[in-house]
Amino acid sequence: MLLSVLLQEGPANTTSYMIAGYTIIFGVMLIYLISLLIRQRNLNKDLEVLEEIQVED
Amino acid sequence: MEESKPRLLTVLDVFTVALFLIATYMVFFYAPQEAVMGDVQRVFYFHVATGWVGMLGFIGAAVAGIIYLIKKDRKWDIVGLAAVEIGIVFIFINIVTGAIWARPIWNTWWTWDPRLTTATVMLLIYLAYLMLRQGIEDPDRRARFGAVYAIVGSLSVPLTYFSARIFRTIHPIVIGSGDPSATGSFDMSPLMTQTFMFSLLTFTFIFIDLFWHRIRLGRKADHVEQLRLQTME
Repeated sequence: MLLSVLLQEGPANTTSYMIAGYTIIFGVMLIYLISLLIRQRNLNKDLEVLEEIQVED
Repeated sequence: MEESKPRLLTVLDVFTVALFLIATYMVFFYAPQEAVMGDVQRVFYFHVATGWVGMLGFIGAAVAGIIYLIKKDRKWDIVGLAAVEIGIVFIFINIVTGAIWARPIWNTWWTWDPRLTTATVMLLIYLAYLMLRQGIEDPDRRARFGAVYAIVGSLSVPLTYFSARIFRTIHPIVIGSGDPSATGSFDMSPLMTQTFMFSLLTFTFIFIDLFWHRIRLGRKADHVEQLRLQTME
């Protein structure tokens, strides 16, 4: 493929690879952000429960 | 102890999102299409920037490790863990996008080139860091081991960075001179250079913003753990 890329007249048609690359970039970053939000929410819930238990005690 | 979000962090969030939108626009619409490789070359801008963030994370973890060993304050363990986690996420993106770029340019998804190999070893070293921490119950011992591991593991950062400059490699070097046998090198036009530099700046802010959020999360997790221990006693 490299040879065909070098011998061609115009740029290679590699748009699908660019789309795949940016899907990974945006996708993984989004998943990480969501994981931070979920962990934050879970910790808030845990904190509420633990503080309630402490007040009861 | 419900810590309110600092106003500066909210400002940083908004600023970082704005930078990210501008950088994305520049990658797709401002930077010209590369004459030989075509659109896949656009992956380069965020590929390098994510590698930069990954390395910042790992170096940050080593610095936090050194400070922890000096001060013995657990907050530096939280900082170190936050830095490693962000580093892993971004180095993972860096390696996968590199493989996607390589498929049409090198005609293979993967080759055991020095740069690719050292980057993968670096990722594995830090995945092992997380596994090491999981296996230690005592928080102080975990922090001490984590600090030493992060300091030693950070040796993989310069090794990865310089691997493409020291060893014979097919991985292109865009900044500085690389191996003449590298495949997929290209000369950056001024618009490409501007997009590249802006992407680096943007991802530096993304790192700072995520780092701050992740440290806050770590502190909250530590507080919850302390409360849980108190409740159990």
